[in-house]
Amino acid sequence: MADLEAKPPLSPSSTLEKQFEDFRHHLEESESLRERIRAVAREIESVTRLIYSCLLLVHQSRPIPEVLEKVKAQISKLKELFHRLAGILRECPGQYYRYHGDWRSETQTVVSLLGFMHWLETGNLLMHTQVEERLGLKTSEFGLDIEDYLIGICFMSNELPRYVVNQVTAGDYDCPRKVLKFLTDLHAAFRMLNLRNDLLRKKFDGMKYDLRRVEEVYYDVKIRGLTANGDSTRDLGIQGQS
Amino acid sequence: MFYASSAFHKFFLMAPKSQRLNRVAETTLQSAAKRPRTITTTAESSMRDAFAKYADCLNELNDKRERVVKASRDITINSKKVIFQVHRMSKHNKEEVLEKAEKDLAAVTDQYVARLVKELGGTDFWKLRRAYSPGVQEYVEAATLFKFCKTGTLLNLGEINGILLPLSDPSLDPLQINVLDYLLGLADLTGELMRMAIGRISDGELEYAEKICRFVREIHRELTLLAPDMDDSNEMKTKMDTMLQSVVKIENACFSVHVRGSECIPLLGSDVPSYSLLGLSDLE
Repeated sequence: MADLEAKPPLSPSSTLEKQFEDFRHHLEESESLRERIRAVAREIESVTRLIYSCLLLVHQSRPIPEVLEKVKAQISKLKELFHRLAGILRECPGQYYRYHGDWRSETQTVVSLLGFMHWLETGNLLMHTQVEERLGLKTSEFGLDIEDYLIGICFMSNELPRYVVNQVTAGDYDCPRKVLKFLTDLHAAFRMLNLRNDLLRKKFDGMKYDLRRVEEVYYDVKIRGLTANGDSTRDLGIQGQS
Repeated sequence: MFYASSAFHKFFLMAPKSQRLNRVAETTLQSAAKRPRTITTTAESSMRDAFAKYADCLNELNDKRERVVKASRDITINSKKVIFQVHRMSKHNKEEVLEKAEKDLAAVTDQYVARLVKELGGTDFWKLRRAYSPGVQEYVEAATLFKFCKTGTLLNLGEINGILLPLSDPSLDPLQINVLDYLLGLADLTGELMRMAIGRISDGELEYAEKICRFVREIHRELTLLAPDMDDSNEMKTKMDTMLQSVVKIENACFSVHVRGSECIPLLGSDVPSYSLLGLSDLE
């Protein structure tokens, strides 16, 4: 009580004001930084939409090299945008995860698209470091979060059943076998992870439905003896709709 | 220049978790990525190798998160004890109660906050913020409450971080409470101060209550400006509402004593706190 009364009332309240003044500056700066990050994230989002719409052509049996050629130009745009993002984040070292939420979902989409393209091209999984390479990211300053990568890969898996169905309809009867092999391996690899109850877990849980769908298509193709040669498109037309 | 050197520093001291994790993945993946070009059958095993690395990264992060959550919970429990201790204050025992509170608070800092600092060990503080934020907020609340009762002033963020600085390993980035957690802690402080003000009034210390009232009003006013700019402002928004309620409760209590105080003078002399003086049903 003695302490309380001894202090002159003015000085503490002015240091109090000063502190809050500083906080306001800090938060305003943080907010404007966030605005800039969001602006870049929006641009990334619009580029991914372009890429996605290009990639959708593979469902219409357009030749893969042609489709990929179309998309390639967009990748350099993505690279440029991530470079800008890294540049903004360089202004606040050590706060990557403070703003992470503002580009997370866009980045996951980017991973899924790059992964899908890579798979179309090579039949292999695009690895974490390869994504960073393609986007020109340097782990030491602005890396790709492992969970974002894994979630992106789960998104990619969602695209595969549709691809298989359409390929079979178009007469590629070997496709289900290849996709099934890939997805089985991928699913097995994911099972090595100990996941928490988060988005990644949910997405991984969804992957088994992709796997099951591809298995069904493979079964249908196989049981009709279509795997060796293929001219019975009629049956598969029905399959494609089911 | 500053950035370059700090990046260098982090690289070798393995500071931010994520970056370290990514780097682990990177080194093994690069070697794995070279193989499939020549032999396609290794695709499957390289996938497994890569995922084994990812699994290690995730495990390490999850374990660490668990430990941080535990440390945070211990901070919360023990900070609450400090707050209760401060509330045991009455007209005649201030000195000794605060002395004990000071000791308890120092113990929280040295034992539990130090453990959190150790667990975080220079990793990316923002990545795991959600895991430790509740504990840090409670600690801020306890420390600021104690400081106010002792000196009548607000403990600044800089001062708290000054206390925490010696806990960190000097070779790592020190744990510094961020502005957001500090402000969230302050928001909770007003609730405790409301309880205290009511207690003081029933104890007859009207002046102390009025002092609390001015202080809380000031904090509320300052936070009103800041709340919308905060990173995830929803948590703060609900706290702002409760804070305003606390302010109004103190004001109403002060008002009742002010208006009806003269009728209750005999009570002020007694040792038993009387709440009837407040004449308010909406206090709690």
